[in-house]
Amino acid sequence: MLEIKKMTCSIIDSDIPILENFSLNIKEGEIHVIMGPNGTGKSTLAKVIMGHYQYEVNSGDICIDGESILHLSVDERAKRGLFLCMQDPTVIDGVSNSEFLRTARGSITGEKVNLYTFIKDMEKAMKDVSLDSNMLHRSLNQGFSGGEKKKNEILQMKFLKPKYIILDELDSGLDVDSLRIVCDNIRDYMKENKKASLLIITHYPRILEYLKPDYVHVLKDGSIKQSGGMELALKIEKDGYSGINVVSGGEDNE
Amino acid sequence: MNKILYVMDFQDNTHYTYNITEDTIIYHFSVDSSSVVDIHMVTEGATLYYYYNTINYHNNSFKITVEHLKNHTHSELFNHGVNVKDKKLDFLVDGIVPKNSIECICNQENQIINMKNGKSTICPNLLIDNYDVNSNHAAYIGKFSEEKLFYLMSRGISFLEANRLLLNGFLINSDSIDLHEIDLFVKEIEKI
Repeated sequence: MLEIKKMTCSIIDSDIPILENFSLNIKEGEIHVIMGPNGTGKSTLAKVIMGHYQYEVNSGDICIDGESILHLSVDERAKRGLFLCMQDPTVIDGVSNSEFLRTARGSITGEKVNLYTFIKDMEKAMKDVSLDSNMLHRSLNQGFSGGEKKKNEILQMKFLKPKYIILDELDSGLDVDSLRIVCDNIRDYMKENKKASLLIITHYPRILEYLKPDYVHVLKDGSIKQSGGMELALKIEKDGYSGINVVSGGEDNE
Repeated sequence: MNKILYVMDFQDNTHYTYNITEDTIIYHFSVDSSSVVDIHMVTEGATLYYYYNTINYHNNSFKITVEHLKNHTHSELFNHGVNVKDKKLDFLVDGIVPKNSIECICNQENQIINMKNGKSTICPNLLIDNYDVNSNHAAYIGKFSEEKLFYLMSRGISFLEANRLLLNGFLINSDSIDLHEIDLFVKEIEKI
């Protein structure tokens, strides 16, 4: 289980909290959604969980299976099963996609990756996400379109087999067909990995038509103001966030 | 078909002069040494890609000058240095297009990564005496971007291994480099 316990966090060396007293429990196999207006801390939440260098947790805790991960480095968190599918994946010139993926897989599994197996696995995975196989040999995310970058993130997810997956605005920059392809892949992944859970950060309910959520939470002013099911996402799509100001759904947002 | 040259530079104070008469790629790899390179674009329409990659441990400098002596000549310089210790690494990069050379392209990109707190300078000079030239320069001195390290580490790659990947990508910055030709330099990267 991924637990965020009454967490307050801010940008390093700033006293202004971005998330305040934020709590969320994500159990195995669950799909949670965070929605909210711009600038309320949705992407900050994703980055803080992953251990981003710009943020610090001032109070509270983040735990995986009951153990705090706050003292862990970013790579150690990934090895515990965390995976952040980034809103704008970083371009890394000179590091090929294949070299990166092979190194990452070796780091996660702690085993040397057999080249033949790697190539075979990659060919299949790339076909699944409709990425041209020559992209494997190109520099990481360089010259990739917005859609290709997102597909590449999902390719990494399939390849690294994480347990706790955070999708930070996966649907931004994706056309309708690409959104369907990446969501099909995520759905298949969830079927094959029953213990995997998802935290989806999004502005639009369209992605939720493919990835049926168990819980939808509305983040506003740094904390969860309302929790519900798919009907809440649809209500936001229809009415916006103006009517959402009251905390409901329990303190722990379970 | 390009002419390709590999230059391995392990000794100090070398001076190279090239007259570029055809499309050429020069891969210049250097370890802890200073050098001066003078390039003359002497044939109309010739293109030059120059990749300079250096690993620095002491006080060193690299001075390169490209002079476009003929019309429609095209130069692209990529100068990358890793300053491993607290020493000084200087790049002085001059692109010269005289008034009588028309429609030339003269570009340069320079980067120095300071692994510690070394002092580095880059002087990117474009001395253009013509109105129809296409010319750009870029210069960066600093550490590897924290955002890149975060991205790599978020996939389970350790800080050290992420730095190794970035170093390799930075110092072997062209897909077409034949690694067999630069075996000694690759071994030097592993020592960083």
